[in-house]
Amino acid sequence: MAHLVELRDIYKIYGEGLESEVRALDGVSLTIDKGEFVAVVGQSGSGKSTMMNVLGCLDIPTRGDYLLDGTDVRELTDRELSHIRNKQIGFIFQQYNLIQSLTVLENVELPLIYQGINADDRRDLAMEALERVGLAGRVKHRPTEMSGGQQQRVAIARAIATKPPIIMADEPTGALDSRTGREVLEFLQQLNREGSTVILITHDNGIAATARRCVRLADGKMIEDKQQEVDWF
Amino acid sequence: MNIRQALKMAWRSIWGKKGRSVLTMLGIIIGIAAVMTIVSAMNGYTEKTMEQYAAMGSNKLEVYIWNYLYDEDGNSLGKDYFPDLYDYCNSLKELVAGVTPEAYCNATAVYGTKSSANMEWEYDDNGNLLSSRPQLYYGSDQYSACNNLTLAKGRDLTPMDMERYNQVCVLGSEAAKAFFGTADPVGKAMQFNGQNFFVVGVYAPRLTGEAAKNNSMDNIIVLPYTARRVLGGEAPEQFVVKVKNAESLAEAASRIRGFLKGLVNPNAGDTQVYSNDEWQQSMNEQMGMISLVLGGIAAISLLVGGIGIMNIMLVTVTERTREIGIRRAIGAQRSSIITQFLMEAAMLCGIGGIIGIGLGTVGSYVAGRLMFQMTIYPATWITACAFSLSVALGIIFGIYPAVKAANLQPVEALRAE
Ligand SMILES: Nc1ncnc2c1ncn2[C@@H]1O[C@H](COP(=O)(O)OP(=O)(O)OP(=O)(O)O)[C@@H](O)[C@H]1O
Ligand SMILES: [Mg+2]
Repeated sequence: MAHLVELRDIYKIYGEGLESEVRALDGVSLTIDKGEFVAVVGQSGSGKSTMMNVLGCLDIPTRGDYLLDGTDVRELTDRELSHIRNKQIGFIFQQYNLIQSLTVLENVELPLIYQGINADDRRDLAMEALERVGLAGRVKHRPTEMSGGQQQRVAIARAIATKPPIIMADEPTGALDSRTGREVLEFLQQLNREGSTVILITHDNGIAATARRCVRLADGKMIEDKQQEVDWF
Repeated sequence: MNIRQALKMAWRSIWGKKGRSVLTMLGIIIGIAAVMTIVSAMNGYTEKTMEQYAAMGSNKLEVYIWNYLYDEDGNSLGKDYFPDLYDYCNSLKELVAGVTPEAYCNATAVYGTKSSANMEWEYDDNGNLLSSRPQLYYGSDQYSACNNLTLAKGRDLTPMDMERYNQVCVLGSEAAKAFFGTADPVGKAMQFNGQNFFVVGVYAPRLTGEAAKNNSMDNIIVLPYTARRVLGGEAPEQFVVKVKNAESLAEAASRIRGFLKGLVNPNAGDTQVYSNDEWQQSMNEQMGMISLVLGGIAAISLLVGGIGIMNIMLVTVTERTREIGIRRAIGAQRSSIITQFLMEAAMLCGIGGIIGIGLGTVGSYVAGRLMFQMTIYPATWITACAFSLSVALGIIFGIYPAVKAANLQPVEALRAE
C-alpha cells in the first residue's frame, strides 16, 4: 500500500547557482503513513516551514518527487491542488491567518464555501467545529476582538471543519503562552487519537518530545528520524 | 463557489470600505450620468420631433414664393400666386394629394365671453403643457389633406368658400374644446377681429394619450386664406404640397419647381421647393452626429472612471495579498479568486452605474427642459445599455487586477504583511 506522504530526494533551492543560493531543503526523503503524529523540529531557518509548504501543496519543490496518497503532485493542475488543500489538508499557522474582515463563523465556513456546500449544511459543520474548540458562543465576533489563544482555536476550527485526514500545524503554539499552548497541543493529540494524521512543526524540543515520531532538520537536511513512546496515545 | 456566494463576498468587501467605494465609483457615476444625459436628451428630442412630424404627415413638400417688391410705405406688392399653384397642383392628380397655404392669421378669436387673447400658455410644475393659445391658420380646402386632419363633425372647407370669400372656419379638436367645451360648435358664429365667422366643422384629434398632453397642434382654427381680405395679412409666401407617396416626392418637386420658374418673374421674387422628408432625414443625421460627438466626449470620462476602478482594484489586491494567500491555502482555486475580484469590480461599477442612471435621468429631464422645452425621460433601452455598460466596464477593467490576484503564489501571498 502506498504511503500517505512520500518525499523522494526533495530540494528547495532559492537563487540556485547564485552566490547567495539558499538550500531550504537539501535532499530530504521521508515517508509518513496514515495515523501518524510527526513533529518536525529544528533551528530557525532549518527548512521546517519550507517542508510544510511542500507537504501542503502550497509550494513546489525545485527537484525531487512528492507523492501524496500515491499521486505525483507535480502532475496535478492548480484546480486539483486546490482541491487537495481544501479536502485533504487542514492548515494551522503560527499567525492564525484568519481573515479580519470576516466573522469567526464566516472564517470557519470559508473552506466549506470553496467545497460548494449549501448554506445550511455549511453552518452546521462550522458550528460543530466551533463547538469542538469551545467557541460556539462567539461566532459573530471578529478575530481582532479575540485573544491569541481564541484566534488560534478559531483557526483550528477552520482546519477541522472539512474533516480532513491530514492536519498540518506550523508553530501553532508559537504565539501563545505555555498553558494555552498546551491546550492546543492536547487538541492535536485528540485529533490524532481519532485517526487524523498530524504533522506538527516546532522549534521547541519539549513539544517535539510529546510526538509519537520526531523528525529533525538542520540546514535543510534531515538529521534524525525517531519513534518516541508517548503517554497520551 | 457559486455566484450568490461571490456576490455576497463582493458586497461585504464593498460595504466594508464604504468611503473608498464611493470615491472609486465617482468616475463611473459621472461618466454614466453624462452619457445618459446626452444620449437620452438627443434621442428624446429627435423622437418627439419625429412623432410630431409623423402626426402632421410625411410626404410633404414645402413651397416658398418670396416677393421682392414693396411700395413706398413698405407694403408688399406681392401677387397672390396661390390660385395658379392650386390649379397646377390639382392638374398633377397622379402625384399630388393636396396643396394649401401655410400662414398664420393674427386675428383674435372670440366666442361669447371666451377670447383667444385671454388664453395663455401654461405649464404645470413638471413642465407639462396645461393650456395654450389657439392658433389661426389660413388654408385652402386641402389644408386638412395636407396636415393629416380628418373631419369629426360638420363639413370641411371647400373651393367655393375661397371663391366666394365665405366667412367660415373649421376648428381643431382642442380649439373646439377651448371655446365650446362639450357643446357642438357647428353652425355657431365666432368673431375674428370682430368679423362674424361660422364654424362649419370640427377636426378629429391627431394626437392621443401621452403625446397629446404636451402638444398644442390640435389647438387650431383653419379659415379660408381668402379671409385675409377682411382680417389682414400679406399674400401667402409659404405653401405645403402633400404628395401621394414617398416615390412621388422627387418627381412632384421638380415639376413644381419648373412650373414656378415660369410663373414668378425673377425680378419680382424668388421660389424654392423643399422636401420635408429630406429635412427630416438631415435633422436625424445631424442629431446623430451631435450625440455621437458629445457621447464620445462623455465616454472618455467613462474610460477614466474605468481606469480608476482598475487602480483601486490593484491597490485592493495588494492590500489583500495575505487574504488571497489564506484563501488559496484553504482551497480556493485560481478561478474562485478571479471570480471574487471580478465580481467586486463589476458590482462596484454596477452600483456606480445605477447611481449614474439616477443622475442621468434627472440630467436628461433638466437638459430636455432647458434646451428643448420638452419633458424627456431616458428610454428603457438607454437605461438598460447604461447599466450593462457600467457592469461591462467593471469586468473589463477588473480582469487585470483579478488575474494578478489569482496568479499570486500561495506561499508568497501568505508571507505578505
Ligand atoms: N522566498 C525565499 N527566498 C529566499 N530564501 C528563502 C525564502 N523562503 C525561505 N527562505 C530561506 O530558506 C530557509 C528555510 O526557511 P524556513 O522558513 O523553512 O525556515 P524555518 O525552519 O521554518 O524557520 P523558523 O523556525 O524561523 O520559522 C531560510 O534560510 C530562509 O531564509
Ligand atoms: Mg517557519
